[in-house]
Amino acid sequence: MDDPTAPFEFLGLTFDWGTILSTLLAMAIVVIVSIVLTRQLSLRPGKRQNMMEYLLDFTNGIVDGQLPKKQARQFGLYAFSLFFFIIVANEMGMLLQLQGADGVTYIKSPTANPIVTMTLAIMTLMVAHGMGVQQLGFKGYLKNMLFTPYVWMLPLNIIEQLANFLTLSLRLFGNIFAGEMLLTLVANSLAWPGHFNGFWSVLALPIEMVWQGFSLFIGGIQAYVFVILTGVFIAQLSGNE
Amino acid sequence: MFGLTTLAANKLPLGNMLFIIISFLVLMVILKKVAYGPLTKVLDERAEKISADIDGAETARQEAETLAAQRQSELAETRQKATQVVADAKASAQKQSDALLTAAADRATLINQQAQTDAEKLKEDAISTAKDDVAALSVAIASKLMQKELSLNDQQALIDAYISDLETK
Repeated sequence: MDDPTAPFEFLGLTFDWGTILSTLLAMAIVVIVSIVLTRQLSLRPGKRQNMMEYLLDFTNGIVDGQLPKKQARQFGLYAFSLFFFIIVANEMGMLLQLQGADGVTYIKSPTANPIVTMTLAIMTLMVAHGMGVQQLGFKGYLKNMLFTPYVWMLPLNIIEQLANFLTLSLRLFGNIFAGEMLLTLVANSLAWPGHFNGFWSVLALPIEMVWQGFSLFIGGIQAYVFVILTGVFIAQLSGNE
Repeated sequence: MFGLTTLAANKLPLGNMLFIIISFLVLMVILKKVAYGPLTKVLDERAEKISADIDGAETARQEAETLAAQRQSELAETRQKATQVVADAKASAQKQSDALLTAAADRATLINQQAQTDAEKLKEDAISTAKDDVAALSVAIASKLMQKELSLNDQQALIDAYISDLETK
């Protein structure tokens, strides 16, 4: 499963065109949708404004359920951006996958790449740890993170923090990657024009449709789960579970 | 599996990670400006307006209730006043008519008395005139009868004798 990539070096850092283009495309979609849906805001919302308000209400609801009111307000923008970006990123690859002539997939779901999900997880955990320090002070933060509820639980707590990072990032990656993988697999092995084999090729269409629907669902669920877990970690590290 | 293989090859794509974090931060800034900020503002405004409207409706309702009660009491008062006015008018009309009747009766009595007095006076006048006329007539008749002149004193004495004679009869 070693897909070719298109890496390049810049200022001594390794970049990869596929990831960058996919991420940028997802973000562009987020920005364009937001702009289109929030023109002419009014107290009496129209259809477009309603959609956006529903989305904002949804993410605000997630953080309100996890955090005290003041913190939730502070955290609303992050949750909104994160959810919006992840759900667009998750569903994007299902509509659009572009492969260059060199065999490199330039456009697909950015979240089907573990580096992207790990980065998002690192970012979220940085926010959570930062909130912890802000809320409890550095000493209180360390005590809350490592020695709660008992001092001898230190090793478990350290493992928990590592596990948090891995579960957060790999759950998202695994779900989206597997979804896209299976879509590609079904398309390639059953219905590719070069391999037309009667009944199986025809069967590929409903299978593909069903799996796409399921992936759509999974993509939404995973975005929701990611934001919920972000809220949970922030609440944990801020000492108010 | 680009990511994991590069991880395995000990070549962490730090550039990608930095790029993703920075671009996500930029995305957050754009979203705040474009969607989150304005939407939150609108939502807050709406919540405020709704609560203000509810308060306003409550105040208006109370005001309306007060006004209605006031109207009710004013109406009752007016009705009472109207009854009072009608009663007063009736009483005053009665009083006036009584006064008029009394005045008319008084006046009628007065006129009656006057008429009586006048009549009496007229009668007396008539009697005295008649007396004089009778005297003159008697003298004329007497002088015709006697065909002679009597002295005025004799005449007077004669007449008085007649009259007293008449009166005694």
